[in-house]
Amino acid sequence: MTNNALIGEARSAGRGSLDELNGKRLLTQFGVAVPKSVVVQAGESLTPKLAGLEGPYVVKVMSQDILHKSDVGGVRVRMKDAAEVEAAISDMLARPEIAKARLDGFLVEEMAPAGQELVIGALRDPQFGPLVMVGLGGIFVEVLKDVAFRICPIERIDAVEMLDELKGKALLDGARGQAGVSREAIIETLLKIGSEQGLLMSLSEDIAEADINPLIVSQHGAVAVDARFILTAQGAQA
Amino acid sequence: MSHENDVIERFKPLLEPKTLAVVGASATSMSAANVFIRRIREMGYSGTIYPIHPSAASVDGLTAYKSVADTPQPIDYLYISVAAAHVPKMLAEANGRVRYAQVISSGFGEVDEGKALQEELVASARKGGLRLLGPNCLGLYSPRGRVTFVENSSTEVGTVGIISQSGGLGTDIVRRGSVRGLRYSAAVTVGNSADLGPNDLLEYYLADPQTKVIGIYLEAVKDGRRLFDLLKAHRAKKPVVLLKGGRTQQGLMAAASHTGSLAGDDRVWVALSRQTGCILVETLDQFLDTLLIFQSLTPRSNDPTREVVMFGNGGGTSVLGTDLFARMGLDVTPFGKPTLEALQALKLPPGTSITNPVDAPVGTLQQDEGRIAEKILDAIFSNGKPQALVMHLNLAAFLGRTKTDVLGNLMQAATRVQSRYPGSAHFILVLRSDGEPEIENRKREFRAQALALGIPVYDEMMNAGWALSALCAHERFLARGQ
Repeated sequence: MTNNALIGEARSAGRGSLDELNGKRLLTQFGVAVPKSVVVQAGESLTPKLAGLEGPYVVKVMSQDILHKSDVGGVRVRMKDAAEVEAAISDMLARPEIAKARLDGFLVEEMAPAGQELVIGALRDPQFGPLVMVGLGGIFVEVLKDVAFRICPIERIDAVEMLDELKGKALLDGARGQAGVSREAIIETLLKIGSEQGLLMSLSEDIAEADINPLIVSQHGAVAVDARFILTAQGAQA
Repeated sequence: MSHENDVIERFKPLLEPKTLAVVGASATSMSAANVFIRRIREMGYSGTIYPIHPSAASVDGLTAYKSVADTPQPIDYLYISVAAAHVPKMLAEANGRVRYAQVISSGFGEVDEGKALQEELVASARKGGLRLLGPNCLGLYSPRGRVTFVENSSTEVGTVGIISQSGGLGTDIVRRGSVRGLRYSAAVTVGNSADLGPNDLLEYYLADPQTKVIGIYLEAVKDGRRLFDLLKAHRAKKPVVLLKGGRTQQGLMAAASHTGSLAGDDRVWVALSRQTGCILVETLDQFLDTLLIFQSLTPRSNDPTREVVMFGNGGGTSVLGTDLFARMGLDVTPFGKPTLEALQALKLPPGTSITNPVDAPVGTLQQDEGRIAEKILDAIFSNGKPQALVMHLNLAAFLGRTKTDVLGNLMQAATRVQSRYPGSAHFILVLRSDGEPEIENRKREFRAQALALGIPVYDEMMNAGWALSALCAHERFLARGQ
């Protein structure tokens, strides 16, 4: 039995994973920054709902039936104001995959400032328990598989060495005229996920796999822009 | 009693048994169990051997007993080599009179139809009050206890502790390693690890003061978390060299996430190595070569090795060696001005290259009947502070060139310089042979001489390179976070 309410709720609802909103709530519980957001429903008046958020906005469809939101046109970025958000939602509703899905609403978020995209991942190894992974986003992860894994719990020095292990690490320091990004922010995020007190050790029997993709890192900080947590079959054995 | 002493005491009856019973030895023919009895007697086993036999009064000249319940003394080590189906009952009836049973018999968990029998075996061992090594386990080599599973094994007690999940490879490790100069504190093959497994032996070696370096051949790990915790808590105080065969379960796991699909086959082993400082190697040769360097040399945590001086005969070998070392993260850096000037002052014959690598043809090396090497090395040591010195000799090049023992003098020169600058550089010798019997014989002599002086000897630059880079990795890990 889990002692985490978010996971408990997902399990009671018969879900094998946490949706984006709950995944981000979970990250927030462990101190990982996520964009400020609200959930809106189609047809509701948006201006008051967006009052606490600063544009530009990102709009994402929320549905347990849709695994890859951008593949079905369920993600729109750089929306300037409530009117654009509203138009984006109408557009999405007109798409057949979205129209037929069970919808929980739409997630409207503040758009994260530009930065280097990273991926932080997790995996529960049947022998070693939770593993944490870091890689640079995009082709670095998908094509080059330029990633570093560690067994949890990790210490600060492990996080530092994980970044040093990446072949594309020069991009973090600033390459091709780009500003460098905050290594410290990445290290802190890795520790919030993978240290002794981190998310994975605290929930080691519940989390089977996770992707924080992307984690956008600027000179000043790191924000988890999308997150997915896949739960273990039913509280794996210790 | 401290936990460490407790662990050491617990394993003593296995590694230094005072009483040893053998099931499966024949009174009339030569079975595996008879071979075992012969081997341990040849090795000088001084405890009592009880053959267990249903009918014979004696086996191999030793008084035989009908069952493990009938032996005059309780049994420290019970060797079992009979058909699998008979083994569980035997263990269940041990009634607390047996400390350890090694089951060589196969037909247990390594085949599908034997899985239930293996469970029964473990339950029987618990019932009989004993610990189990195996089944499907060739046994162990313990020079301290004069017990062995290997023909003609050395009685010399060394400092290298081995755990092998394969019996055959365990034999290779003991035999081939011995020829290369490895001397073991023990080598334990664990078979199916139904009860005692690699982690238990690792815990023992970490505690055992006789063991200085640990080598593990692993196929499947049953409790990776405990392996990680043991290694991590130990913080690489003793070097641990890990030869991992086979793939982890991850490769077989259907991955639902991106991260899952990236985990691949051995990412977790790389992670284990980075986090605990254990050295991952890929081949048996690399395993033995790496163990040898740790057996011979004392790691320096305050000054991790990077810069290497290479000295020997063979220009091409020097060039290739330098490239190879560079790829392994080692630096064969040209000398600074003081060293260069000191070497120039020696006025060595043309054809001698005195930057690093130092390439001295046989013509140079045989000057002063080989004592020139002492001057060259002295110039290097007194003007710089080399972290490691790799001396390579192509033995064939010396053949027929001189009557005097130039090679012997070279070796002595090198060791004299070493002793004048104690603790300065890791000294490694590469003795290159073309495989001709005459050369091989000389090489064997030199290898023995060098090993007696505590100098690790390698066949080629490649072997020296990976051993040295493992030593460096270990030193860096010790220095990590200091």
